[in-house]
Amino acid sequence: MLLRSPLLLGALIAYPIVIALLVGLVAGYASSKPRVAFVDDDHLPNVIAVGGHRFHIQTVIDDVANQVTLVRLTDAEAARELADGKVVATITVPPGFLGDLETTAVSPHMILRTGTGGLAPRVTQQVQALVYQLNRKLQGGYIAANLAFVHLLLHGGHGKFLGKQFDVLGLDRTAQELTALPPTKRVAAIEHFVQQAKVGLAQTGGALRATANPITLEQAKSHGRTWVLSAQVQAYGIAVTVTFLALLLAAGATAAERDEGTIGRLRRGLLSLGELVWAKVALAGVVGLVLGAAIALVFGIVVEAGGITGGEPWGRLPLLLAGVLLSAAVVGACGALLGALSREARTASLLAVLLVLPVVFLGLVPRGAVPIAYWVSLFLPFAHAVRFFGAALYDSDPWHTVGIEGLWLLGIGAASWALARVGARTLSA
Amino acid sequence: MTSPLVRALRVARRYGEVEALAPTDVELHSGETVALVGPNGAGKSTLLAILAGAIEPSEGTVETNARVGWVPQRPAHYSRLSARENLELFAQLEGVRDARAAAAELLERFALPPAPRPSGELSVGNRQRLNVAIALLGEPRVLLLDEPTAALDPGQRRRVWEVADALRAGGGAVCFATQNLEEIEHANRTIVLQDGQVASLTVEEVFR
Repeated sequence: MLLRSPLLLGALIAYPIVIALLVGLVAGYASSKPRVAFVDDDHLPNVIAVGGHRFHIQTVIDDVANQVTLVRLTDAEAARELADGKVVATITVPPGFLGDLETTAVSPHMILRTGTGGLAPRVTQQVQALVYQLNRKLQGGYIAANLAFVHLLLHGGHGKFLGKQFDVLGLDRTAQELTALPPTKRVAAIEHFVQQAKVGLAQTGGALRATANPITLEQAKSHGRTWVLSAQVQAYGIAVTVTFLALLLAAGATAAERDEGTIGRLRRGLLSLGELVWAKVALAGVVGLVLGAAIALVFGIVVEAGGITGGEPWGRLPLLLAGVLLSAAVVGACGALLGALSREARTASLLAVLLVLPVVFLGLVPRGAVPIAYWVSLFLPFAHAVRFFGAALYDSDPWHTVGIEGLWLLGIGAASWALARVGARTLSA
Repeated sequence: MTSPLVRALRVARRYGEVEALAPTDVELHSGETVALVGPNGAGKSTLLAILAGAIEPSEGTVETNARVGWVPQRPAHYSRLSARENLELFAQLEGVRDARAAAAELLERFALPPAPRPSGELSVGNRQRLNVAIALLGEPRVLLLDEPTAALDPGQRRRVWEVADALRAGGGAVCFATQNLEEIEHANRTIVLQDGQVASLTVEEVFR
């Protein structure tokens, strides 16, 4: 029987593959650390010293590489694995890196190569974060090295810079030498300069640390919502529930009228095609509204009972429910279209269930991961509903997002309604 | 001659390449009962559905000058609603002023169970009687019946013909499709259909 229906056979084969891909994309993007090749062309020793600070290379890398998995590879291996997609990027430490680093006078370079996949922007961000963390670790050594030179200028002694050794008189000993000279205006002026220079250089340590970190971010402990109660989880929870039920209900109700033959009676001037579709849209909207309100109520009660701060569980309820009503109605229009295209209620219900998963997963795939998935999701209601609910729940100024997503939903709903109206023409045939 | 209650001019219906009904002219006049006779697939149900306005003709026009009641071949009602709820719902959609009273009257007239039991759980005979009862909402002057007695026992069949005869006697018109030659006696005019066309054959020749 399947062989006689190549379309059904193709759909049965393609469906699990598409779902697996989407699940893999979403899960992989959300939880995995991308593999990044680390190519050491400078043959870094296990321990390096910068400004008198000693760093164990592997320990530093382990400390800072919490967003990516660094894998040590040769140049050739890294190039091959990048081409094969086994690693998403390569970081190369070029020859001369350590020499530049140890001078503390030149910024050494590392070279980043990324693949061309959708993850490239994210990997670039993660490697930038990695280099930032490395710089944070190394800046202590750089500051110490610079302070050693300042100490030399202040107190004199034996120094080394760019491989050359030298002796420095220092401001302290300069002041002493000046006291041995006959007191003249010129000597007094030099003594005044030496005093000013000593005061100024004494501030160098703080100034260097402030230059390295103009702004320090302190993370204060808060009693905000856990992720389980976050606006995002609530938005996704309502959107998934509403999408699933509204689609199933509208598709089933439309196809059931064909199954039961009532569509023929209704089409005899009792209801227009538009009114037939509106009835399903209204049904989906009302049921979605009740369910969305119930979910929002449960979240609100949990938040209140838990004494959790952050967000107003009740203040935004009207805006949220307006979005739920709109989204459910739009999904209802899509469901009516599906029901009109199906030959019977059971097929419509099965199709609705099969369609909900890819619609939801497409909405979950981040824009950077697979651009085509993002573009497809733009023309489906789920992603817009999630963004509408998220903004309605906790954006300080939700109106811009709510307006844009509301317009998208209205557009999708209008298109689905018009198509469902055309599709309904075939119901009584 | 008075104008017909229903007039169909060159109505046809095609499904893709398949012609279910070739261009056909039909008129239903006050006081007549017309039998549509023909084998399976002859186009009887299609013609009745077009006359009822349940499906649009691919070509041709239907002019209706009276309220029309339609009894489709397969009972058409909401299976999760009870018989009473179905009658009340369709009465409201038909614009019947007192939907509850109209539903109660038809429930009693067709001996339908008044209990709030889903109509999908009713017997085949009860569902067919509900099918006929829904068609009578709004007191139509024209009744289109598509094999209305197929699932009914003799007593129930008699009741259906009593309803049809009363409607015709009251100045209405009845058009019914059948494959039961005994039922043709209820008609004063017969249209024979074969392969989607009006055939110039006798009933006996069609079923030979």
